[in-house]
Amino acid sequence: MSEDIIRIRDLSTRFFTAEGQVNAVSDLELTIERGEVFGIVGESGSGKSVTALSVMDLVESPGEITGGSIEYRNPAFADAIRDTHPDAVDGELVDLLAIPRETRQSLRGTSFSMVFQDPESSFNPTLTVGEQLAEAVEVQRRASANPRSTRARTNRSRYSLGSYVLSTVLPSQRYVTDESRNRAVELLELVGIPDPVERADEYPYEYSGGMLQRAMIAQALAGEPDVLIADEPTTALDVTIQAQILDLLSDLQEETGMTILLITHNLGVVAWMCDRVGVMYAGEIVERGQLEDVFDRPTHPYTKGLLGSVPDLEGAGGRLQPIPGNVPSLLDREMPDRCYFADRCPKAMDECLEHPPEFDVEGSDEHAAKCYLAEVEYTESRALPADYFELKDASETDERPVAADDEEPHRTGSGTGQETETTPAGDGSTSGSGGDSE
Amino acid sequence: MSIGKFLVRRILQGVFVIWGVVTILFGLRAVSPGDPATLMLGEGATQELVEHVREEEGLNEPIYAQYVDYLQGLVVGDFGYSWQSNRDVEAMVIERVPATVELAVAATIVAVLIAVPLGVISATRRNQPTDYGATLFSLLGISTPNFWLGLMLILVFGVWFGIPHPTLETSPASLAGISVPYPRSVGYSFFDFPTGRRAVGFSEAFVAVVRDRSFSELGVWLQYIALPAITLGTYFTALITRLTRSGMIDELGKPYVTATRAKGLPAVLIRYKHVLRNTMIPIVTVLGLQMGTLMGGAVITETVFNWPGLGLRLIDALHMRDWPLMQGIIVFIAVAFVVINIVVDGLYTYLNPQVSDE
Repeated sequence: MSEDIIRIRDLSTRFFTAEGQVNAVSDLELTIERGEVFGIVGESGSGKSVTALSVMDLVESPGEITGGSIEYRNPAFADAIRDTHPDAVDGELVDLLAIPRETRQSLRGTSFSMVFQDPESSFNPTLTVGEQLAEAVEVQRRASANPRSTRARTNRSRYSLGSYVLSTVLPSQRYVTDESRNRAVELLELVGIPDPVERADEYPYEYSGGMLQRAMIAQALAGEPDVLIADEPTTALDVTIQAQILDLLSDLQEETGMTILLITHNLGVVAWMCDRVGVMYAGEIVERGQLEDVFDRPTHPYTKGLLGSVPDLEGAGGRLQPIPGNVPSLLDREMPDRCYFADRCPKAMDECLEHPPEFDVEGSDEHAAKCYLAEVEYTESRALPADYFELKDASETDERPVAADDEEPHRTGSGTGQETETTPAGDGSTSGSGGDSE
Repeated sequence: MSIGKFLVRRILQGVFVIWGVVTILFGLRAVSPGDPATLMLGEGATQELVEHVREEEGLNEPIYAQYVDYLQGLVVGDFGYSWQSNRDVEAMVIERVPATVELAVAATIVAVLIAVPLGVISATRRNQPTDYGATLFSLLGISTPNFWLGLMLILVFGVWFGIPHPTLETSPASLAGISVPYPRSVGYSFFDFPTGRRAVGFSEAFVAVVRDRSFSELGVWLQYIALPAITLGTYFTALITRLTRSGMIDELGKPYVTATRAKGLPAVLIRYKHVLRNTMIPIVTVLGLQMGTLMGGAVITETVFNWPGLGLRLIDALHMRDWPLMQGIIVFIAVAFVVINIVVDGLYTYLNPQVSDE
């Protein structure tokens, strides 16, 4: 087993909205090893993408990383940082949340890069694809031009408005050089785009979705990053194209040996691509392990539910079993201090009214789940009544005139009575949360 | 669509628009009261003389014949004679064009120079004091009437601060009773520049700088144009500030901006090369349309400041019921509007490559 390249500890990312604090990611633990494909799988709204954005430091206001650490292994970077920020460095690991933002952002493109979900909206429509790729190449070229590259990178804010104004007048001062443009064409060729020379001069709208996703992968590779984060890279594409893009990613990963963090809601994609998997629910990883651990020996009922909602071609027959209910609200005041899945869980027991820690589960060493079922056998006698959360909901609904006309069966009360007036009634995103009032 | 085809289509459309303007004006003239011959000759003219002029000018012809005659004239660039001064309308229009163009361009430059940076700052520091200031400024700018602003600027800068402004001597400001205390010796009156020319236009100032290395003419020109340009440009500045701010906020929220940040591109490049450029696409359109409006819409500002442009001449023509001159000026403005629009469309194509393919 190789060394870990990213180690995330207790990561919390919150959004401070008018409705209240949203805990998009809470106390997330994650370790990614060099050269592996790690998959994060979960429903929409489970915090997968925010995790990726947190690593890239792309979380935007009103969002904010509020706690934890993201450690990144890079000896050269650690050496460069050690003098100025000794606290942030631990051997070869640098805690990205303990160094200045500017320094951290200098890792974008060269250490981490990202492939986004919707290629058509992720390219600037008014610049040619070649130009946009060349920019990414240029970022890398400039970063490595200086032998003390890391320091040079941290000073990148030196590219000022003046430099830009000058470049609009003098072609020789342009940010993107011809060298980078040529490299952009090579990259297009690398990802299998025919006629790359001509295609480089075309605009994003002249590309098909699949071609554009290839171009985006090329762009992400431009900086020769250590870690490629692919956020739902195939979701916006046709099924036939999806396979091509996944193949391309696999091939490139084999060639370059880079690490991929693959974020998806598609279990098929996970099965195809990943070495290890983390299942995310309500901002935390509820089960993780080797691919076989999670797929063949799922412990958490949520994981089982996810697997149960995938059609099985071989064992045809029988209806799919969807997970009842909705993704829980991540509003802080609506998050109960219990297992977040309990209200949708077919096996909820008395224990589940307490937030579960992570338990080791049988399988490989890494197989772990945040579920009491890992420790305790499910027994009918200890089970919560099927309508436990609904009853709770009903008892609270009396105090909640706003939600009185809401007929959604899985709606449960929000945390405290006096604040519920501000909760938008009938909004699916706030429903399904636990009704544990304090 | 090729650029040639595009141009041909737009030019044909433009010709149609101008024909419409010409026809409506001709119709208005035909139904408006007053005998042109009497207007030309004045009240005391004899009946025979009036009749003679009517015959000579073709005013006794049926109206459609006069219309065809007028159109024929326009096609070869003959706008007729001014009833008041008996001069060629073309000459009277052309001589006033530079002053109006100078004013419109100066107002646009003032607007763009202030508005775009202000909009960018406002958008990137959203909901901070700077943003509130800029928003308040644009609200005031949009709701302040031109003529009032002009008079206030004259009052504040001309009267209180005593900054000399030669065009004011016969302006409505002085007519309105605001005393404008310029000694005649301050400098040049607009119409008799010491060199004997009409006024200090930008061209004269430019020639003086380039040939004689003399900046005094440029200084005088700036003195002339500053207040009218600010007056005319304020509404425009406010409008562009708002458009830039909202456009930029809109653009900053698009996924490609996140993707560009993920590439590690310097913030300056993201903000200007990517976001501002895309924000400018709709703004260029407004800018162009406004340039057209400024050409024709400077009437009030030109009147307040006595600026010797087309707008002032149009007002004079209106007062004198000098129809051929009025028609000539309005047709000219219409042509300018159409031409500017075609140019703007061309620019738009350049900025947004997708348009040229549609």
